[in-house]
Amino acid sequence: MKPALSVIFFTVSSGAGLGLLVWLLIASLMADHIRMDAATFHKGAVIAALLITAGLVSSTLHLANRKNSIYALTRWHTSWLSREGLLAIALYPVAGLHLYALNSGLPQVTPVTLWLLVALALAIMLCTGMIYGCLKTVPRWNTWMTPAKYVLFGLMSGAVLLPAVLSMRPAAVGPVGKPMMAVVLLAAGLVLYVAYLLQHPRKSYRINDALGFREGNVRLLDAGHSHGTFLTNEFGFVLARERARLLRWVAIMCGFVVPLLLCYFSQWFWAASIICLIGLFVERWLFFAEAEHVVRLYHGQPRV
Amino acid sequence: MKLGLAIDLDTCVGCHACAVACKEWNGDSLMGGAPDYDAWGKAPSGTWYNRIRHFEIEGDPAYSPHRCGSASETGAHQPLSKTVNVPMSCMHCEEAHCVTVCPTGASYKRAEDGIVLVDPERCMGCNYCAWACPYGARELDQDKGVMKKCTLCVDRIYDPQLPETERQPACVLACPAHARHFGDYDDPASKVSQLAATRGRQDMLPDLGYRPTNAYLSPRKPAEVVPALPLRQDLTEKARAFVNRLIEL
Repeated sequence: MKPALSVIFFTVSSGAGLGLLVWLLIASLMADHIRMDAATFHKGAVIAALLITAGLVSSTLHLANRKNSIYALTRWHTSWLSREGLLAIALYPVAGLHLYALNSGLPQVTPVTLWLLVALALAIMLCTGMIYGCLKTVPRWNTWMTPAKYVLFGLMSGAVLLPAVLSMRPAAVGPVGKPMMAVVLLAAGLVLYVAYLLQHPRKSYRINDALGFREGNVRLLDAGHSHGTFLTNEFGFVLARERARLLRWVAIMCGFVVPLLLCYFSQWFWAASIICLIGLFVERWLFFAEAEHVVRLYHGQPRV
Repeated sequence: MKLGLAIDLDTCVGCHACAVACKEWNGDSLMGGAPDYDAWGKAPSGTWYNRIRHFEIEGDPAYSPHRCGSASETGAHQPLSKTVNVPMSCMHCEEAHCVTVCPTGASYKRAEDGIVLVDPERCMGCNYCAWACPYGARELDQDKGVMKKCTLCVDRIYDPQLPETERQPACVLACPAHARHFGDYDDPASKVSQLAATRGRQDMLPDLGYRPTNAYLSPRKPAEVVPALPLRQDLTEKARAFVNRLIEL
């Protein structure tokens, strides 16, 4: 699949913003314990909102006909893309209500809006994953690991961002403790990513299946077009094996290992966050670049 | 009604006339619009509803009737290769996942005749339906930014102003080899149903479960050819042939 930068940025940025939102809200429940003052909470909320909004705006960049995007909210009963858009938009009024309830001291409303926001954030990440995970035409994506990756990596990058936000507290409060949640989630993320790399798609298709000739060797004589088409442009992306290997190592090191070490052994939480997001960006790029669509069989690829 | 095409892989000669006729009819029609990009330039491209690809099948025993051994030897088929030309357009699948994934409702499958269509007034050009289609039937119109696909010439087949024989998709009318047929698969007596039943259809990616309506009629199995002379001769025959050749020298 063509790795479209707008979509990659959307999934990484929104995922990190939603993850940060989840951890920030849960942290606000124990604000006294972790000594998070209201100003720090609001700073974190602004960062989360910026990440989510930048991602959502970026996701509209790949639409060829943006003026009709309002209709994208109408097919939530069948389409994961529609569900994702609807929930993402629903997030904003609920977040506004939560902030209003916090600032005007309505203790009977805040727990409801807080857990509603957490549930919405998780649901949005799940929907984003299911947009790709539900496609039977891309065997590499059609596994439970795809939505699991989207939710876990979102929560993980958010958990790395939280200590970075906490490090903005007034100097008098003292240094941030060891972010064990970030460490645990980075380790879990590493395990899931390596498992995803090692796991082969459940189903693979041969060019014989594509044409219905069960036996014999099938090969393409002529694709019928002289230059690129929409199909070769969208689905024909080929990644050199050596480059893929290199990028996988970049994703593993930057996305998981280096942030884990930085979180555990140092106080450089901003560096850990930025390196983690770069690593996840590379991981997401590979997620698209390495996925193969079955229409490639009709363009002569022997197996997908 | 379940309207669809039957495409004969036996008689299709791969001339691309169906694709050209499709372009001609849908080029700037109301439902369609199939623009070209850089048509006379160095890298011409365009939006097509129908593309023809050419494949070679080698060593399929069903299409390799020529024996290379004696008649008693089973499995001694000569691995012949066969060329098939495969025109592909929208299959108007019964389980059209392109429609389910569409977030805007622009893609829809008509209840009355099963034709899958895109409403250009609703499509936002997200390409998601093209991702969900295993057969490469959907292509983006880059001029208008909306998804385009085979309409089964919905603006021809119901047009009462056309003579009845011409109320068929343009590709079917154009095919010089009569390899394309149009009809109702819900009617067991229709020509397409009969053809699909008698000739057999190729199952294309059946495991995905999309259940295409269009049928690709399997190439006819050629009659088995058994050589008149035994190809393997016994020793006395070989000796006689050798002596005969010596005498002729």
